Amino acid sequence: MTLTRRLMLKLAGSALALSAGATAAFAGDMPAPFDNAGDVKIALVRYLSTGDFFQAYLSGVETQAAALGVDLRVFDSRQDAALQADMVDQAIALGVDGIIIQHGLTESMQDAAQRAIDAGIKVVAFDVNVENAAIPQVEQSDRDLARLALEQALVDNGNEFVAGYVYVAGIAPLDRRDETWVGVKAANPGINEVAMFGTLDNPIANSVANQARSVLQANPNITVMFAPYDEFAKGVKIAVDEAGLTDQIKIYSADVSTADISAMREPGSAWAATAATNPAVVGEVSVRTLAMLLAGEDVGASVIIPPTLITQDMLNDNDIKNMADLSAKLPQFAHADVSVPEWMPLPAR
Amino acid sequence: MQGNETKKARLTPMELVIKYGFLVLMAGLLLFFSLSSEFFATPRSAVFIFQSVSITGILALGVTATLVVDGFDLSIGSTATSALMLSSYVMVVWEMSAMWAVVFCLIMGALVGLVNGLLIVKMKVPDLLATLGMMFLLVGLQRIPTEGRSISTGMVMPDGRVTEGVFSPSFLYLGRHKFDFFIENLIPVSVVVLLVLGVIVWGFMELTRHGRLMYAIGSNARAAELAGTNVNRYKVLAYMISGVLASVGGILLAARLGRGDIASGNNLLLDSVAAALIGFAVLGAAKPNVFGTIIGALFIGILLQGLTMMNAPYYTQDFVKGAVLVVALVFTFALSKRGGAH
Repeated sequence: MTLTRRLMLKLAGSALALSAGATAAFAGDMPAPFDNAGDVKIALVRYLSTGDFFQAYLSGVETQAAALGVDLRVFDSRQDAALQADMVDQAIALGVDGIIIQHGLTESMQDAAQRAIDAGIKVVAFDVNVENAAIPQVEQSDRDLARLALEQALVDNGNEFVAGYVYVAGIAPLDRRDETWVGVKAANPGINEVAMFGTLDNPIANSVANQARSVLQANPNITVMFAPYDEFAKGVKIAVDEAGLTDQIKIYSADVSTADISAMREPGSAWAATAATNPAVVGEVSVRTLAMLLAGEDVGASVIIPPTLITQDMLNDNDIKNMADLSAKLPQFAHADVSVPEWMPLPAR
Repeated sequence: MQGNETKKARLTPMELVIKYGFLVLMAGLLLFFSLSSEFFATPRSAVFIFQSVSITGILALGVTATLVVDGFDLSIGSTATSALMLSSYVMVVWEMSAMWAVVFCLIMGALVGLVNGLLIVKMKVPDLLATLGMMFLLVGLQRIPTEGRSISTGMVMPDGRVTEGVFSPSFLYLGRHKFDFFIENLIPVSVVVLLVLGVIVWGFMELTRHGRLMYAIGSNARAAELAGTNVNRYKVLAYMISGVLASVGGILLAARLGRGDIASGNNLLLDSVAAALIGFAVLGAAKPNVFGTIIGALFIGILLQGLTMMNAPYYTQDFVKGAVLVVALVFTFALSKRGGAH
């Protein structure tokens, strides 16, 4: 699954055409090796690819790579850990200058990443810890995601309320979000968590809706639902609507998509707020961080992309209908001021 | 279980256990949950159980139809999610009405069943393999038009176009409307659909000559063929029934979610297969049967609802589901043979 340069140009062209009136930000002379950007080859080696988040991440990687003018190859292992490691070796054989590892398992990627480093290739890892000092980690801060959503819950509901919580243990981002929830509960003894539930049976929203309805039936006094993953929040919202409790319950979540935006904006929607990092921005930052490494700059051990709080009121006030509107009207969502040295060309908006 | 049974009729205790053991188990479960959660034994709670199993129940009817002819349809889960995506695509991208969405989905379901059936009877591909192939094919196919994105109003298509279409209110009605039944807003449409389809499929299987021939094919296809039955035609029919029922399930799912959510549908498949297999044990039938399938689906629904109300985490629910299935299979195979119910 490689992208030809012609396709890259087309993608860059359509990205330009999309953002009417936008001007491509041309930085001045780029340092080596980007003075000859067309000869720079980078590879994206993916573990997860199905779903809106990963599609948007890929588009971010593509637009930033196009802005730099580098040659991008995409390797997609579709949740096959062994294949993903082989793909790193393929990329090495292909003679790429830099590799972005997107998700994966520490155990399977550690050695492969070291082989790439040994071959003189710069490597950046997104949301996977390959335990290598030479490889910076790009992360969205799950703790901050949960913190932003919960702070809004405290603003809206005070610090005494009856809560339901959706959680599945053993999923790294959910575990990190859970740490924040545990901390917030400890700091606010008035929060009474009467029910904890959750499942990843797909379709997730449908399965969670079935559970949430039983929970609401058993605990009619719940006023706040903390569902720190948008599929969970969708399920809870379905259950709240079916139980006719939209006025009584507020839902706080993490992550966002076009479908989430329309669900939040339904008249009288119980979905009050969500906190999210723009996956496209995460993709852009991954490429920028790799580019800085290639130019010989120091990026530190980890690059953290701050999340944005998105409330129902913000969406309604700005008449935001989809992710493109969200980027256009909430500038803090469209761009993260992370990994942007002066010479870095940014994608056109 | 055995303690509840007394030797009233001419049936031996073992036969009684085989025949009514599962229903007694279910009654015991209902009693247990009613005592442990004050909210369990309410009319609304009962309807919730029906609603939570309505989609898997409809799919399980399809599984039952294929089991009857000694086949198996692994593609029902992905047929359902394909219908979910197709109906969303028809309304959101093509901006057509709810009726067309439903019609397209039913046609797709029938076509999938037809292809499955032809692969099996004409190409002689074993049923598990043919429907396994179809499963993968559909999981991929449903994602091609949107390049793997979920479908919702306002989404940006691969060609950069922003979709304008919406889920029409009459479509959402299928997933969200509730009929008044003694209590206001009690019974959701999906439950009515399950019950109506259940009665139709039951009637077809138990009361018509076609149904009896399908059972005959299931127990001995060669004998049925020698007796002049068009075995191939009935097998294809069974897969088409399965495909159409799966697409009905997918339509209801889309109407409930209100968006075209990409999902593999594997859990739908497993839950509905479990329901159909548990159905073997109901009333000691020891064969696929529609009444048993519905009871099997309800059984799982009762368990999950009760466990969730008691704050049991999801993995205990999977565990309990598995345990129930094992017990049901023991009822079906070991006990019925030893007890000589055949």
